Amino acid sequence: MSIRFENVTKSFGPKTVLRDVSFEVAKGEILFVLGKSGMGKSVTLKHIVGTMKPTSGRVYVDGQDVTALDAEGLSDVRRKCGMVFQHPALLDSLSVFENVAFGLRTPQYIRQLPRPLTELEIEKIVIEKLSLVNLNKDILRQMPSEISYGMQKRVSLARTLAPGPQYLLFDEPTTGLDPISTTAVNDLIFELSRKLKVTSVVVSHDMACALKIADRVLVLDQAKILALETVTEIKKSKEPLIQDFLSETLALGSTQP
Amino acid sequence: MTALGSWFISALEELGGVTRFFILILRTAFRTRGNLSRTCEQIVSVTLRSLPTVMFAGLFVGAILVLQYNLVLERYDAQSLLGGLNTSSVLREIGPLIISFLLAGKIGAYTAAELGTMRVTEQIDAIECLGTNPIQYLIVPRFVGIVISSVLLLILGLMVSIGGSMWVAQTLCGINMLQYATSIPQFTDGTTIAGGMFKSLCYGTIVGLVSCYKGYTATGGARGVGRAVTMAAVLTNFYIIIANFFSSMAIDIATETIRLIGEKFR
Repeated sequence: MSIRFENVTKSFGPKTVLRDVSFEVAKGEILFVLGKSGMGKSVTLKHIVGTMKPTSGRVYVDGQDVTALDAEGLSDVRRKCGMVFQHPALLDSLSVFENVAFGLRTPQYIRQLPRPLTELEIEKIVIEKLSLVNLNKDILRQMPSEISYGMQKRVSLARTLAPGPQYLLFDEPTTGLDPISTTAVNDLIFELSRKLKVTSVVVSHDMACALKIADRVLVLDQAKILALETVTEIKKSKEPLIQDFLSETLALGSTQP
Repeated sequence: MTALGSWFISALEELGGVTRFFILILRTAFRTRGNLSRTCEQIVSVTLRSLPTVMFAGLFVGAILVLQYNLVLERYDAQSLLGGLNTSSVLREIGPLIISFLLAGKIGAYTAAELGTMRVTEQIDAIECLGTNPIQYLIVPRFVGIVISSVLLLILGLMVSIGGSMWVAQTLCGINMLQYATSIPQFTDGTTIAGGMFKSLCYGTIVGLVSCYKGYTATGGARGVGRAVTMAAVLTNFYIIIANFFSSMAIDIATETIRLIGEKFR
């Protein structure tokens, strides 16, 4: 039960964003993927759910080669993976309730249940997931455009959690959030990983957060893995880029590495 | 020469992309269980949104043609043919063409902008990651909705156009409505109506297909959405003009064949 990248290369025309990248994420682990902008961090996540195919190499989720799956196979992989996007990515035409309930109504989700959920059960799950991200049921009937950006991001997280994914993939989950919500989201990632054994891959710029909750940190630079180490090892790293990240964290005073 | 060659290649690539997308829509529509309520929602929404524009345009298309034909027919004292000539032109050529141009501008641009925004704000990726096929969930209902409502709107637009023509003919050209209506069957028969409907279906398909394709494949933030909307409008009109030529040819051949078969069995 893991995610595995095997010699993955991804090019967009002449530009290569990932070159011969290999790593593995163990069950229940929190892996932070750090790197400067445009270094292929989000691309890495998109390969896991199969919305992007590598130019060469293989990506495995639970032993299944995602790169070789057809549409139906990919749907099964995506059911196991929950992805939180950089943007809230809520469907404009649906209310908060309908957005969070979206994944509970898909055929792939219903298929794994003995019977489809009743509307009451769906509402119960929706409220429960919203409370996990510090939102109450008052906003259930509101449209995404009627709530703040920070709330939209949390609704998006609740939507991802609703179908109970085994893997959580976060693409800069705390961008645009206030410090309290940022801490709440980071704590949530930590809790889900520890209590429910959910495997998390978090793409972020936030070294402070990585040092706080990650098991291992993967640093991407120039399309390659610069470091894949535990938090303790990362703190001792002499790599200039990692040093930059660490000194930035110290300067902000948000943590004590 | 090199520029012309690369333009030709990119035009072919574009056409190939649209064709592949059309096949994907058809395959998804036939293989998976359709969402009837979402499709009906689209039909109602598209029809209601465009109805006033189409009615207004239909009225004036008919009126302009009446005035134009009347100028010529008056010279030859053949105003009794006005109703037939005008209705035939509106049904077969001008009506479907102008109304579909309007639909391309209104519905096509709206759809391309809506889907493009969904694409660049990762809404389509989110749908996919939640285990739902975005072609089935977003594209098929929109495409079917646009095609069906285009045909409905064209029928309504053409009816208004014919009615408006009769009124203009009586008010401005002094031609009795009954006289106008009597000449219609001289130039208009079942094949004219079928031809108009066939063209409406073709143009509706083009509007739906191109706008969905350009929106769905939009990239590059707000600028990318703007580019997708512009290209959707330009390409739709371009494809409609080409389709008009070929559909007119096909209708002429079909009409001639039907006439010959009819004569043979007479």
